[in-house]
Amino acid sequence: MEQHVYARWLDIGTRIGFAVLVATFGVYVFGLLEPLVPLQDLPRLWTLPADRYVAATGAPTGWGWLGFLGRGDYLNLLGVALLATITIVCYARILPLLPRVQAVLAAIQIAILLGAAFL
Amino acid sequence: MEWWIWPIALFAITFLMGIVAVLAGVGGGVLFVPIVSAFFPFHLDFVRAAGLMIALTSALSAAPTLLANGLASLRLALPLALVGSVTSVVGALVGLALPTDVVQIALGLIILAIALLMWRAGRADHPAVARPDALGAALGMHGIYHDPALGREVRWQVHRTPAALFVFALIGLLAGMFGLGAGWANVPALNLLMGAPLKLAVGTSGFVLSVVDTSAAWVYLNRGAMLPMIVVPSLIGVILGAKIGARLLPITPTHVVKKIVLSVLVLAGGRALLKGFGI
Repeated sequence: MEQHVYARWLDIGTRIGFAVLVATFGVYVFGLLEPLVPLQDLPRLWTLPADRYVAATGAPTGWGWLGFLGRGDYLNLLGVALLATITIVCYARILPLLPRVQAVLAAIQIAILLGAAFL
Repeated sequence: MEWWIWPIALFAITFLMGIVAVLAGVGGGVLFVPIVSAFFPFHLDFVRAAGLMIALTSALSAAPTLLANGLASLRLALPLALVGSVTSVVGALVGLALPTDVVQIALGLIILAIALLMWRAGRADHPAVARPDALGAALGMHGIYHDPALGREVRWQVHRTPAALFVFALIGLLAGMFGLGAGWANVPALNLLMGAPLKLAVGTSGFVLSVVDTSAAWVYLNRGAMLPMIVVPSLIGVILGAKIGARLLPITPTHVVKKIVLSVLVLAGGRALLKGFGI
């Protein structure tokens, strides 16, 4: 029972996340929204470690990307974040359906995933 | 070189990877990280983040069908995914904090070890589990699934749960640190160590992966390591390639493909080692 509910929610969530990812990438590469990091600068910057890339471009960390959704490149992170949120939503959905032991494990799992999201 | 050449090259190579991954029965992530880090100019941080997203999206796409058909077990996966997701966060944090050459050397060694594991590891369709262990029984790690090939219900239970939890902790650490996905390790651990039937092990591995990689993906996202220009063309390439691979599967000699994949892994692992040593 809980497997079928999880499967249904996961299927819908994954389709939405992937569609958002592809659509926002179209916005990015076709220049419909100006990116924070100009496309022609990327080959010079993507050779740097992530922390130096962030320092060199002023790119946001943590949830700071939400403030940059008007930029073509950071709009894409909406799709990434959706794909990374689906599992949390699915676990929360089946929580009331699980037997006690599994419900405790699922609740801890949700806490861990939320912890990772806000780390 | 113009910027647009790289995403097109990335799409082309990941499209091929998607085909080969299906034919060889491996995850796209395990091919992506060593090959792209060896032959593309992107820093390893961005490659690992993209590798995680490839493994995550592939697992998320496959999991609904596997769960609905009973070929993945939520009850089997819950404790293993829990342990793996904690250590994958640790792995991601450690991987991003370590010097690049150290990670590169470790990646090379891991890739060579994976090639060895894929070459040597056996499989058992229906391993014998005489008696479930106490922890596995307490966690409800047993069930029944319908095997369409056998045309009957298959009852399953597992043993060696404490050892398996330790192994999945290790797998999570490696998945988070290297962005490799972890099907190469999940399936033998579920099948050979715990005694889960092979089909259930393959299906449940994908589900465990979707949870473990989710937690590590957040770490890379929060540290600014997700570059859409690397992530999205790779994802689309692997997913489209996998669709073609699935069509080619019935007419392709998969043992030949497996040998090619092993050779590529050895080559990419060797290249990662050399890069790590600055050669």
